Amino acid sequence: MRALSIAATGMQAQQTNVEVIANNLANMNTTGFKAQRAEFQDLLYQNVEQAGSQTSDSGTVLPSGIQLGAGVRTAAVSRIMTQGDLSATQNPYDVAIQGPGYFHITMPDGTDAYTRAGNFALSPEGQIVTDKGYTVAPGVAVPTNALSVTVNAQGQVQATVPGQTAPQTLGQIELVRFPNEGGLQAQGDNLFIETPSSGSPQSGLPGSTGYGTIQQGFLETANVNPVQEMTSLISAQRAYEMNSKVVTAADDMLQTTARMGGT
Amino acid sequence: MDQTVLVSLSQQLAAYRSIDAIANNIANVSTPGYKRETAMFQQYIETAPPSEGQDGPQSYSFVQDAGLARDLQQGAVEKTNAPFDLAVNGTGYFVLKRADGTTHYTRNGHFTLDAQGRISTESGDLLQGDGGELAITSDDGDIHIAQDGTVTGAKGQLGKVQLASFADERALTKEGASLYTTTQQPQTVARPNIEQGALEDSNVQPVVEISSMLEVMRAYQASESLNQSQEDMMRQAIDKLGTIES
Repeated sequence: MRALSIAATGMQAQQTNVEVIANNLANMNTTGFKAQRAEFQDLLYQNVEQAGSQTSDSGTVLPSGIQLGAGVRTAAVSRIMTQGDLSATQNPYDVAIQGPGYFHITMPDGTDAYTRAGNFALSPEGQIVTDKGYTVAPGVAVPTNALSVTVNAQGQVQATVPGQTAPQTLGQIELVRFPNEGGLQAQGDNLFIETPSSGSPQSGLPGSTGYGTIQQGFLETANVNPVQEMTSLISAQRAYEMNSKVVTAADDMLQTTARMGGT
Repeated sequence: MDQTVLVSLSQQLAAYRSIDAIANNIANVSTPGYKRETAMFQQYIETAPPSEGQDGPQSYSFVQDAGLARDLQQGAVEKTNAPFDLAVNGTGYFVLKRADGTTHYTRNGHFTLDAQGRISTESGDLLQGDGGELAITSDDGDIHIAQDGTVTGAKGQLGKVQLASFADERALTKEGASLYTTTQQPQTVARPNIEQGALEDSNVQPVVEISSMLEVMRAYQASESLNQSQEDMMRQAIDKLGTIES
């Protein structure tokens, strides 16, 4: 009886679906979080009777064959890369990317990671770092006596220091793009790393063609739409329930079979 | 030979086939572009010589698989806002080329970019435009795909998504992973209707599936009880006829 295993694949798929939705809802307030969606595909088919095979010498053909399906599978959990809303925080080291691009982060082991979460801070040495203390590449140091720090739309970091009227340029924040950002691998802590399917990073200045601009004093909120997630949750739950009904029906039929001639 | 048991057995086998098809439909209730299938049956008539008290040859009708019919009705188009999610509204299949050169067709319009920036499926099959694959560079900015399939970026037109239609759509062979193959010649769709940022839902209607599932289950039970009463009859006959009157 296939119905049992087919319904099991359906239940598994819906379970994945609910897990993805749960993760989206849990990250509703995570800076720079991008919502995910489970993608489904039907499973292999077993050809019992080929459509179009001849049914007589005179060339009549079977209008429809018999191809038995084996259920469903999760093809991918893809990320929806739309822009999240920007919310004002007034914190000078909170920066948001308006448009495409990622901040480039140097991990403690020297490897590269990328993020959309711009809730940065200063390290004890005055470097601009993430909330985990990882350096924002290429590394911008803020002097301890700086009165105010500005990051302009092009990612230039400037500071005014006592005794100088003109602001002093401290460095430049660069953005990174990928041919396929959906292929980036999430590392937790809002960080992504490059994979063969994301393609290699291309860095550029904020505001140049194809790159977003920097907004100081803002954070990009998660692009999770709670209403949409709730409706997906309901339909996933119902679909799970229906698949379990199929299990019950198949079980019932098998039970009937087992009872056959058994009295 | 008494045929009652065999006739109801053939019905039970048919019920198994039906429930398998229904299970597959329900399992794919969230698969984009999935088309529901229903099992079709036909009579298989066998003639047998008359038993005592009957005149002329007697015919028995068995149930036999005739095929699985695909319901090609349009699924609802649901917004996803992902730039490379495309829904076909109306006729047509997306044309995909695999690395080994084979062509597949699909209604599941969930696409993404591969490492070279080409529009592809999750498994790496490339979506075909008028001039082959559709490559997008980071400089193209936001991609707009028009209703007729024209792909436009910041620097102008990049290609046009190709749709294929077939003389006999139901004869397409399912390959799993939402793909179809066929030996038929693809034809171009006269008026393509592609929606960007949306996916075509599966056209499975849960109410229909659940009610036909209950129907199949009850039919199965009915044929089982037919079997049961036939068996009782036989037993009674044996008991009665076997009693030696004293």
